[in-house]
Amino acid sequence: MSVTNNADASRMRTVFFSILFVLLSLLAFSFPAHAQQNDAALNAALSDLNARSFKAKTAAVQALGVYGDARAVAALEALSEGRLYGRKSDKSVVIAERDGKIYRLTDPATGVSAGEATSRELKKIIANNKLRGLIRGVLGQLALSSSDSELRRAAVENVISSPTGGSLALLKSARDRETEDDIRARLETGIATLELGSDDPALRRAAVDRLADGNDPEIKSLLERRLLKNADGSFVESDAQVRAEVQEAVSRINDRLALFGLAEDLIFGISLGSVLLLAAIGLAVTFGVMGVINMAHGEMIMLGAYTTFVVQEVFRVTMPAEAFGFYLLAAIPAAFLVAATFGILIERGCIRFLYGRPLETLLATWGVSLILQQMVRSLFGANNREVANPDWISGAISIGGGVSVTVSRVYIVIFCLVVVAALAAFIRYSRFGLQMRAVTQNRGMASAMGIRTGQVDALTFALGSGIAGVAGVALSQISNVSPNLGQNFIVDSFMVVVFGGVGSLWGTIVGAFGLGIVNKFLEPVSGAILGKVVVLVIIILFIQKRPRGLFALKGRAAEG
Amino acid sequence: MGPISRRLFALESRSGWIAIAILLVIGLFIVPALNLMVPEGSLFHISTFWVATLGKYLCFAILALALDLIWGYAGILSLGHGAFFGLGGYAMGMYMMRQIGDRSVYGNPDLPDFMVFLNWDSLPWYWWGFDQFWFAALMVVLVPGLLAFVFGWLAFRSRITGVYFSIISQAMVFAIMLAFFRNETGFGGNNGLTDFKDILGFNLSQDSTKVGLYVVTTIALLLVYMICRAVVSSKLGRLLIAVRDAESRVRFLGYSVTNAKLFVFTLSAVLAGVAGALYVPQVGIINPGEFTPAKSIEMAIWVAVGGRGTLFGAIVGAFTINGARTYLTGVAPEVWLFFLGALFILVTLVMPQGLVGVYRSIRSGELKDAIRRRIQRVDV
Amino acid sequence: MPFAGGFNVSMSEPVPLNKPAQSILYLEGVSVSFDGFKALNSLNLIIRRGEMRAIIGPNGAGKTTMMDIVTGKTRPDTGRVLFGEDTNLTHLDEAEIANLGIGRKFQKPTVFESLTVFENLYLALKSGRRIRETLFARMRGEQQARIESYLETIRLTERRDDLGGDLSHGQKQWLEIGMLLAQEPELMLLDEPVAGMSDAETEQTAILLEEISRDHSLVVVEHDMEFVRDLDCVVSVLHEGSVIAEGSMDVVQADPRVIEVYLGR
Ligand SMILES: Nc1ncnc2c1ncn2[C@@H]1O[C@H](COP(=O)(O)OP(=O)(O)OP(=O)(O)O)[C@@H](O)[C@H]1O
Ligand SMILES: [Mg+2]
Repeated sequence: MSVTNNADASRMRTVFFSILFVLLSLLAFSFPAHAQQNDAALNAALSDLNARSFKAKTAAVQALGVYGDARAVAALEALSEGRLYGRKSDKSVVIAERDGKIYRLTDPATGVSAGEATSRELKKIIANNKLRGLIRGVLGQLALSSSDSELRRAAVENVISSPTGGSLALLKSARDRETEDDIRARLETGIATLELGSDDPALRRAAVDRLADGNDPEIKSLLERRLLKNADGSFVESDAQVRAEVQEAVSRINDRLALFGLAEDLIFGISLGSVLLLAAIGLAVTFGVMGVINMAHGEMIMLGAYTTFVVQEVFRVTMPAEAFGFYLLAAIPAAFLVAATFGILIERGCIRFLYGRPLETLLATWGVSLILQQMVRSLFGANNREVANPDWISGAISIGGGVSVTVSRVYIVIFCLVVVAALAAFIRYSRFGLQMRAVTQNRGMASAMGIRTGQVDALTFALGSGIAGVAGVALSQISNVSPNLGQNFIVDSFMVVVFGGVGSLWGTIVGAFGLGIVNKFLEPVSGAILGKVVVLVIIILFIQKRPRGLFALKGRAAEG
Repeated sequence: MGPISRRLFALESRSGWIAIAILLVIGLFIVPALNLMVPEGSLFHISTFWVATLGKYLCFAILALALDLIWGYAGILSLGHGAFFGLGGYAMGMYMMRQIGDRSVYGNPDLPDFMVFLNWDSLPWYWWGFDQFWFAALMVVLVPGLLAFVFGWLAFRSRITGVYFSIISQAMVFAIMLAFFRNETGFGGNNGLTDFKDILGFNLSQDSTKVGLYVVTTIALLLVYMICRAVVSSKLGRLLIAVRDAESRVRFLGYSVTNAKLFVFTLSAVLAGVAGALYVPQVGIINPGEFTPAKSIEMAIWVAVGGRGTLFGAIVGAFTINGARTYLTGVAPEVWLFFLGALFILVTLVMPQGLVGVYRSIRSGELKDAIRRRIQRVDV
Repeated sequence: MPFAGGFNVSMSEPVPLNKPAQSILYLEGVSVSFDGFKALNSLNLIIRRGEMRAIIGPNGAGKTTMMDIVTGKTRPDTGRVLFGEDTNLTHLDEAEIANLGIGRKFQKPTVFESLTVFENLYLALKSGRRIRETLFARMRGEQQARIESYLETIRLTERRDDLGGDLSHGQKQWLEIGMLLAQEPELMLLDEPVAGMSDAETEQTAILLEEISRDHSLVVVEHDMEFVRDLDCVVSVLHEGSVIAEGSMDVVQADPRVIEVYLGR
């Protein structure tokens, strides 16, 4: 099962580690007092770090871990980063920062300055990669006894992912102390994972039992490894009965993972659907309501995205750093205005002469789209422009079962629903919406009643274009901002509108989410591109059955 | 039936025929002679590059005729004709690919290079037979024809017309493009088919082969023009125009609109396939770029600029625009898209009958009237 | 008349009507609704072979919809539509029905605007309708002569080489009638043939229709009462999708229900 795409995963990891680091540096303040009493014992363990052999150093690091004193953290970090030195004069261990020719020293236990020294007076304590790995584990263990639950949570994950010899005992004692349920559950999992390797079949069986309740793909593969054979042909798991239970547990986890897989497809389908809907909703107005095929619709999206870029640059220069993240909010009205202005220009300058000639409209607006693309290319260059995700929409949310969604996608779904709701309400309740509907239903009558149809046409087109521009703001967050941005959406958005039934807002919504979800469900079966091809073929076949789309308008007006 | 055809073909008159004859003499004899017999460096020499470029334009002219047949006459605007053009091209490309044999980089006599690169160990079934020219030639006609027939049948049967048809046909070419971009589809993916060595034993890098291809294309254009003429001047031609004007009324007269459309659409696709097949050996490459929707839309503007609904206009349009492209992309590439975009807008807004229409109004002195009428219409 | 106004026929249990042997068009219990609105409500109608029938009724009565059903443009929700002895029309498409011999003139005159008057008639002329036949068709002298005679009949000889789109509204009506004649159908459906015509033209049309009716079955929908009276034939009154009265113009005009429909409300 694919988890998330690579970019998401790596972003998640970065977030995770930066949190861990910040928390680790807070460790010293959060430790229970009892751990800080016996300075002598701590100092003894610290000076053992300066041993000759790696074996002895290893033992010292482990001892620090079991000892559980947060003051060891600084020393361990320094050791793994190569900043820990032995002072030749008194054989004590110090942390040294180079400052020009001399080194400034600090006492690792107290953090107090310990004077200066030259390089000749010091001897670097060398760590190898194995030791560094161990240190990472021990640092994690130290965090297990922190009073900060976030810190503990992170520490548990850390220990589970890179266990050492003493980890089992450590986890067990942590479990006994733990007050928070979810952390304890994770601890139990960790303990069970470690007990899988125990010599006692009964213990192993109990562990398998507990693990079978999880839905973690990693645990699944851990269990599956128990089913393999060793090089000599014997099973990794020697006990046949335990093996059967492992088998059973794996299949139970598989079932649960399948469910999560389904949920994942659904969630990603909804996410894709909302992107499609955003791209298509403006078309639903211009094509659906006015019957105008606007091939430059994609370029309205593109203009919105570039407006976002410009607003971002303006914020970067003129606003304080804290306000920078809000450029996105400012970009929404700006993009609407820019795209709507272009919309009015296109309608007044070109489309209005072509009403009733849809094929000509199609070609003329295609010409407009070429010009807009080239215009943007000339102004901003042909390359992608960087539009940053503000902090408040970065990161990812984990759903379990290895599934996680980036926050920006969640925001897009919400944003999309808000836009659609606002549009629907606007068309339904505003005076302009009423005029718009009147004009589309009976132009002659509306004009006889004193509605200025030309004005309504222009504004309707501006509305559709403006919404496309707003869609561009959202799409700038998840896709490359380049002059071709719009082209990538034009076929898709027409498909959505045609599939849903031209002129029906409902149809557009159902069409977008339907196509998005079908696409995502097809992807694992046929691959991303072929999935798209299959969807297009399905639409072409679907139109056989319902040439006017899912939610076709009936009546003579629709027969045109 | 004099009056009928006179209106349909301004160029069917005697002067029209003379024009066609002159063009043929120039195309078939003078151009090749100026290339082959006049020494290089002479003022009158036409370089092989220009002969090949003209050959390319001729292919586009065939394509434009094919599109005009369905759009100008039957009112079906296909935005997916690149699919038929490209498929015809691929069929020919596959033949030439098989002709390479062990002269390829990897030197595998049984597999094209890109398949060796993909670690395929045998030729996929849909490549079978393409080492025979007759088979490839058959496929050039059959594959686009069949695709058009199936697609057209699905679309016309459910009465998908107008812009709906345009959008769906665009989706079709888009889907084909996506499929051909994949390596696994087995047509060379992104890079397509290229590095051709020879065709029917003639070395493609030789000037005489290039001139030969050019001459063949000229003759093909003439034949296609004749076929299209035969169609549009027949009763079927009237029927197509009737379908364009009032499709449902035609049904109540007892004609099957579906069959009429299906016939011209399939014919048009076959002609487009032929154009593609002639195009590929002259440019030496075919790749999925031919399937981008933008290319298919651009074909419509060739027809519109020339004057849709007139066969001669389609040819004029193909030459004008592609000539302008060759010139502009050489002189000022960034201007080209502005130019093309403006052309789309201007042609639809101010000269719906295209260059042929302008020419006619100038001849009949209607131009001033037409301009006055248009201004009035804009005022309303 | 076999029956007059059978608007009460129940859907589940069609009342067996005595279908006269020589009927050319037979509608029984035909209903159709658009988005819940019943345009035809178990309509019964029988046209005898060779008969001319006028159908009147207020706007929205369902007259055009009735023609849509007969010519295959709209499918009925329920009911039977028979042409001639026993050809069921409800499953055929427009072209098939037209080729059976049913011709129609539309309420809004539709001629092919960018074909000449002559070409309009040429396409309508009864001859092979297959695509292959049209591709290889050659106009025979006899066909040309027939087209000329139709041109004469509809008084458009002078305008034979003008585009259909350039004709006046009334001339388009005439051209459409001419196309109908050229089709040589057994049954002609004319939807408001004299709308937009001057009085003189209307009179001429009435004469023409009477002429035509000698060897065709005709159904004429009209609002022009004088014209209908001139036709001097059986009149059916349609209201809310069913026939409410049938008989000669005088009889129908005296019917209280008809008076209510036309004057009440
Ligand atoms: N395709 C359709 N979709 C929706 N409503 C329809 C459709 N066709 C007909 N109707 C409705 O059915 C009713 C009957 O229409 P019809 O055109 O048959 O009336 P009519 O008797 O011909 O009227 P008129 O004398 O004005 O021509 C009308 O209310 C019309 O709006
Ligand atoms: Mg009517």
